[in-house]
Amino acid sequence: MEIKPSGSPTSFVDQSVVPGDVVLDLSSMTNQTIKLGGGLRQDCDSITVMKAGKLRYSKPNKYWVESSQKRYEPHAGDSVLGIVVDSKADNFLVDIKGPALAYLPVLAFEGGTRRNIPKFEVGTLLYVRIVRANPGMNPELSCTDASGKAAEFGQLKDGYMFESSTGLSRMLLGSPTCPVLDALGKKLSFEIAVGLNGRVWVNATSPSTVVVVANAIMNSESLSGVQQRIMVEKLLQNLKLSC
Amino acid sequence: MEEEGKVRDMVTPGEVLGKASDVRPGKGTYAVPYNDLVYASLTGIHHSVPPVPDSTDQRPTVEVTDHKAHGAVPETGSVIIARVTKVMAKMASADIMCVGSKAVQEKFTGIIRQQDVRATEIDKVDMHSSFRPGDIVRAIVLSLGDARAYYLSTAKNELGVVSAESMAGATMVPISWTEMQCPLTAQIERRKVAKIGG
Repeated sequence: MEIKPSGSPTSFVDQSVVPGDVVLDLSSMTNQTIKLGGGLRQDCDSITVMKAGKLRYSKPNKYWVESSQKRYEPHAGDSVLGIVVDSKADNFLVDIKGPALAYLPVLAFEGGTRRNIPKFEVGTLLYVRIVRANPGMNPELSCTDASGKAAEFGQLKDGYMFESSTGLSRMLLGSPTCPVLDALGKKLSFEIAVGLNGRVWVNATSPSTVVVVANAIMNSESLSGVQQRIMVEKLLQNLKLSC
Repeated sequence: MEEEGKVRDMVTPGEVLGKASDVRPGKGTYAVPYNDLVYASLTGIHHSVPPVPDSTDQRPTVEVTDHKAHGAVPETGSVIIARVTKVMAKMASADIMCVGSKAVQEKFTGIIRQQDVRATEIDKVDMHSSFRPGDIVRAIVLSLGDARAYYLSTAKNELGVVSAESMAGATMVPISWTEMQCPLTAQIERRKVAKIGG
């Protein structure tokens, strides 16, 4: 079996890899510390891929595999969209598309005291931040940012929520602004909240705007930047023709 | 005179074991004051324990013990070995496996609350840095708890995680009272470790 020459570790970077690919040979890279992110595993001297996706590298020494899937794995610090499933005495149980329900403590709001506990009904959509997500434990959420301020977290009223893959969510949240949002924002005015767990919420004054924005986003995952702008142009033309 | 243990004298609940003036009621028996008799309350074997020589009460104690040999049952203050099943923000659940050195024969559940994990700084305890699901812990029974579980405590040096597996799957080696290290990957994981020996 042909083994890739270890002198060119960048040969796999930014390429699609599948589980089992050996991407790095450590025997030739002594005296270097390499940080492995998700999707990679160390087997004695070789680094093998565990998850299908694209191998990414960031200077000086970080490697990881990026993949887009429907399932979300909770991580501390992520901002996600959750749906209230139940409310107990001390916390709300929120579904964040992960393996377990998450707890949102009743006091985790800006200026939250026992006297002004928010009343969220079952089915309320919330934009929350994950505080703790250890494997095996239910994640803990909060409606404040790390310093305790409300910072846009909380209930999302009206609007339309749809599901996406995790890769699309990351693309929408990337900087610079992703082309589809840029093109839509130039012509339409709307509000949007993107959760890293694969949920997106859109709100606008007219329902046709909401539908156009949602459709544009849903179609844009596999398109390149230029293709996204062309697609948005076509959708907007249809919108003008119909109204 | 029957020798203890030789004649298996089976009694059933309600059988008279003697007069309250002659015998003292022990485990599995009760005394009724109005007619001064001691009755059995369990089905089992009737034993008579001779009195302590120096005590004021010189009556032998009668007790009824279960005729089936059954496994150990956790009592308040007994040291138990349990396997952690679930770790939550404020407590951890564990399945009790041994009481003292005897294995149990039916399932008992125990709860280790956040304030019972250790003796110092009990409000700053992070349950995830103390236990993980699958760890074997040595704990002491605080109380019989509620209908669902016993209350356990690991708030002593010799109590805590005895054996744990790392995320790579190897049995970890303790290196301090808060850390254990995996021999395969050299990764350090935090646990509330029991001090064994010494």
